[in-house]
Amino acid sequence: MSAKIYIVDDDESVCRALKTLLTTYDFVVNTFNSAQDFFDKVAFDAPGCLLLDIHMPGLDGWEAQKMILASGSKRPVIFISAEKQDNAADRALQVGALGFLQKPVNGQSLVDLINGVKN
Amino acid sequence: MVLKINQRLPMKKKIILSKKMKLKKPALKKASRIDMEGQIHLLKNDLDIFRGQVSQGEDREQLGAKREKLSADREKRAEEQIHIRTKAMESTFDGIFIIDALKPDFPIIYANPSFYNLTGFTKNEVIGKNYFLLYGKIQNLHSLEEIKRSLLNGKTFQGEMLNFRKNGEKFWSLLRITLVRDKNGVTTHYVGNKTDTTLMKQRNLEIEVQREELLHVTRVGKLAEFVSSLAHEISQPLTAILSYAQAAQRMLKDREPQLQEILQYIINDDQRAAEVIRRLRYLLKKSKPTFEQLDINILINDTITLMMPYITSKNKVIKFESGKDLPAIQGDRIQLQQVLLNLISNSLEAMESSEDFRELMIKTSLKNADTILVEVKDSGCGIPPENMTKLFGHFFTNKPDGLGMGLSISRSIVEAHGGYLEAKNNPDQGATFYFTIPLNKKSDL
Repeated sequence: MSAKIYIVDDDESVCRALKTLLTTYDFVVNTFNSAQDFFDKVAFDAPGCLLLDIHMPGLDGWEAQKMILASGSKRPVIFISAEKQDNAADRALQVGALGFLQKPVNGQSLVDLINGVKN
Repeated sequence: MVLKINQRLPMKKKIILSKKMKLKKPALKKASRIDMEGQIHLLKNDLDIFRGQVSQGEDREQLGAKREKLSADREKRAEEQIHIRTKAMESTFDGIFIIDALKPDFPIIYANPSFYNLTGFTKNEVIGKNYFLLYGKIQNLHSLEEIKRSLLNGKTFQGEMLNFRKNGEKFWSLLRITLVRDKNGVTTHYVGNKTDTTLMKQRNLEIEVQREELLHVTRVGKLAEFVSSLAHEISQPLTAILSYAQAAQRMLKDREPQLQEILQYIINDDQRAAEVIRRLRYLLKKSKPTFEQLDINILINDTITLMMPYITSKNKVIKFESGKDLPAIQGDRIQLQQVLLNLISNSLEAMESSEDFRELMIKTSLKNADTILVEVKDSGCGIPPENMTKLFGHFFTNKPDGLGMGLSISRSIVEAHGGYLEAKNNPDQGATFYFTIPLNKKSDL
């Protein structure tokens, strides 16, 4: 059974491109244009790894991660952001995420990180 | 006529007036004093007979004496006045010189000590010399011509210029030359007044440099924010391009080597573009704020001083109502000055359109026990309600050459200090931007 990936990014083109790429690695990918949309459509305990953009209108990545933790979900989260904040990678780990990747994201690094989660 | 009584005489029946007493008017006029001797019988009671010395000229003499005294007084007063005026001329810090305008070579006929101090020339080098020759070789010829033109046209001259002392040292001076005319309107003298403005000039220059530095910091800050926003916007499509290209490469696995190569080029260039942005962002990285104890009132005063020439040039006035005994705050001096500078500039721009909008007011107060409130209130055009929510966003501007970063940067600075920055329209006119700075706040930066 293929692993499930959720992508939350307000940029539609980024969602589509990442989905296209990850599909070539045989993942099953669902995309959402906002964190709220993701929460509305995916149960907190539904299995799958989340690729979460940080800079978004409405709920941003940090806030979304807080809600995930608060819901008791064990969902693995990887932050992806165009914003290179000095402490973003550290902060991502602090809030329980698996990692932080800066855009533009290299496909192989992303897949390696996801596969790390799987194992 | 005054009767001087010398001596009391024995009583006699009749007055005997000696011939001497019959004086004629011309004689009286000439004489300053005429002695007369005679007996005067005072008809009343026939009692007293005096030998009197009648001094016909006494009035005149007294008058003369009075006149003499008057003119002596006047002379004395005039002397005193001349003395005081001379002292004033000699003790003033301004260099004063007088030129004889009737002589063909316009020689200097007087110069006060300050003039010698200022120019470094001695009395011998100045008196009798033409003022312009004094500076001839090194003076800015343009300003000399301007002075000459004014004076020849019978106008006073006023101007600030760079001068040189005898030893070649530079100094700035404000020169005013006025004309002294006689009653026929002929210019007889030129009176020059030279004020050393070097210190004032230096101070203004220092202020200007400081303001420029601060504006530069602001510009760099704006640029950094701008680049940051730009980087974000560009990174998104770069992400998509990279992912698409990598996906295509994987789909073409072991097929179409030429297409594979092209896809690799796309990937390489995508990563190159990302690298350029990364480097640019690193270059413009905002310097870390340094927090120190600050007196907000002093900080505002300093900022006003920096802005003063600009405010004056815009023909606006600024009032500062400083709250008493405000506790010190923890803050980054440059960053907070940047906020103030930005708010003041915005206010001035809001008041630009009309001469009626002139007053800008800054007020500090204690909002509550642990928060300081700073208000910047203008009497400008106010904020249209539809813009109220967009004001603090990136790239929002109503200025033709604005970046739309000022307020968003200001807000992020205030927030980094633990406060908030807001705006509201005044009930009467204009808008107020206000921000808070909490006391005893440990910054998280």
